[in-house]
Amino acid sequence: MPERQNALTSLLLRSSGIIFFLILWEASSRLRWIDPYFLPRFSVVVAEIGRLIQDGSLISNLAISSARAIGGLLIACLVGLPLGFIFGRWFPTAAEALDPLLRIMSQVNPFLVLMASTLILGFGETTKFLVIAWVSVWPLLFYTITAVRSVDPLLIKTARSMGISESGLLQQILIPASLPTIFTGLRISAGITFFILVAVEMLNASSGLGYFEHNSAMNFEIAGMYAAATVIVLLGFLLNRFLIALERSLFAWRAPADFLLGSVHTDKKRVLWRPGRFATATAAVMILLLLISGSFEIQRVNSERASMLSGENPGKHARHLGSEVGK
Amino acid sequence: MTFSGSHSSPWRIPFMKIIAVVLVAVAWELFPKLGILTSNTFPPLSKALATIFSDHVFAKHAVTSIGRAYGGLTVAILAGLPLGLLLGGWFYRLQQALEPLMELFGQANPVILSHIVVLFFGIGTGTQLFVISWLSIWPIAFSAINGVRSVDPQILKMAASLGLGRWRLFTSIILPSAAPAIITGVRLSAGYAFIMLIAAELMGATTGLGYVMATSSETGDMNGLAAAALIITVLALLTDLLLKQAGKRIVVWRYQGVVT
Repeated sequence: MPERQNALTSLLLRSSGIIFFLILWEASSRLRWIDPYFLPRFSVVVAEIGRLIQDGSLISNLAISSARAIGGLLIACLVGLPLGFIFGRWFPTAAEALDPLLRIMSQVNPFLVLMASTLILGFGETTKFLVIAWVSVWPLLFYTITAVRSVDPLLIKTARSMGISESGLLQQILIPASLPTIFTGLRISAGITFFILVAVEMLNASSGLGYFEHNSAMNFEIAGMYAAATVIVLLGFLLNRFLIALERSLFAWRAPADFLLGSVHTDKKRVLWRPGRFATATAAVMILLLLISGSFEIQRVNSERASMLSGENPGKHARHLGSEVGK
Repeated sequence: MTFSGSHSSPWRIPFMKIIAVVLVAVAWELFPKLGILTSNTFPPLSKALATIFSDHVFAKHAVTSIGRAYGGLTVAILAGLPLGLLLGGWFYRLQQALEPLMELFGQANPVILSHIVVLFFGIGTGTQLFVISWLSIWPIAFSAINGVRSVDPQILKMAASLGLGRWRLFTSIILPSAAPAIITGVRLSAGYAFIMLIAAELMGATTGLGYVMATSSETGDMNGLAAAALIITVLALLTDLLLKQAGKRIVVWRYQGVVT
């Protein structure tokens, strides 16, 4: 079976880089090329991840971070998608006129939004949702406008000549035709969101994966710090891979458009599975459950932290903003 | 990239674009003054501008920040471009082996890694440069790989049959064909560099616009915050515009913009 053998060697080749990197990590610590205090062995970090999963702190912070990411993305979708359709379909001139203004606003630094909203709204969850929504709304909006505007005019004309209503046009032509491009925007948004979320949690939060990593570093729990960092990097990688695979299987007729944020464009990918209605519904329910359980976890942790702050023991460390790294 | 569409008349759209930006600037100026927004939290535009020009400290911090951002971007280009060109052009198997690792590295958040990098480099320029440049390396490398890989093989064959050497093939065929993709990657990277600049300066610096933001938000100096915000946004915007124009000038035959 030459094809299967081919697939196996290609898999081996493609994973060889990562395997080599992990071996290098393990070896450089084991053979004391780098002080093992600064760089714990990879096996130690894996064991630490296992321990953190068992004592529940990793799962709890994971749920909190995902709830924040999903909530922020949902807000961005609720704002960006309708606006994109309205601008793209009904007010194209306005979209063009507002283009420079929107570009300027999209260039506003997310950390700036974080500081400003912290000053105005305080350290609460609203600030985090706002920053995440701010970051993720721009790709969604721009891609939606572009998607709606680049729907084949022949399709629209044909549907019109068959006497379709405006809502029918939206449902049957515009939305299906622009979905692939919108999904690319959503994928880019999700990627950036995860980045910024972790950074925001590190600078300004008392829960979540970013906070957990930061807190371990502040307390010189080096293995815990590496464990959290590894989980975060792995999650980002898997999220990116998952969304690319989903895009490929959902919109198989279309060549992958965007390579910049992730991987190298490779053609000739066979689509093994296409999600149907059932899979989509299951995914939606799971995302919703994650959002709900995460928000309960946020509430629990926040109230716990508040009672800790008001009591005798004021938490592990209270100050985040402006505090120097590594101290 | 603009949303190209039917134009009613050639001058109307550019005029409206300017009007839209001016309107928002006027709103920023008037809303706090009329009391629609409280001027304690939203200082008017003129006040932010006055703060910038009244205090020489801002110019100094801005120059420091520009130096850091462009330094980080330069490091990213110097690391990412040769990597991408080599992997895309000559070492196909190595590219296959390294690509997932590079993807993993591209997902590694420099803010998170900064704790680890600090253990090795200490607090200072090394860590700052790392945080700023790390994220920018990968879009450049990936776009260079894709650019090189998408060179039309017909042209390559023709050039080779006309007797072009390896170096000439690279400089006069591969590099120009890959240029549009590379410039797109560099534009994306420049955006990342400016985002991460502020993160780096917020975390551990005693100079730069991010430091100004941190101190003015701690003391509740909204004028200082607004001034720093204005400078940073304008700098990021100008850099993007500059790269866009450079791209148009270098790649006159086929300019592809990113949508974002």
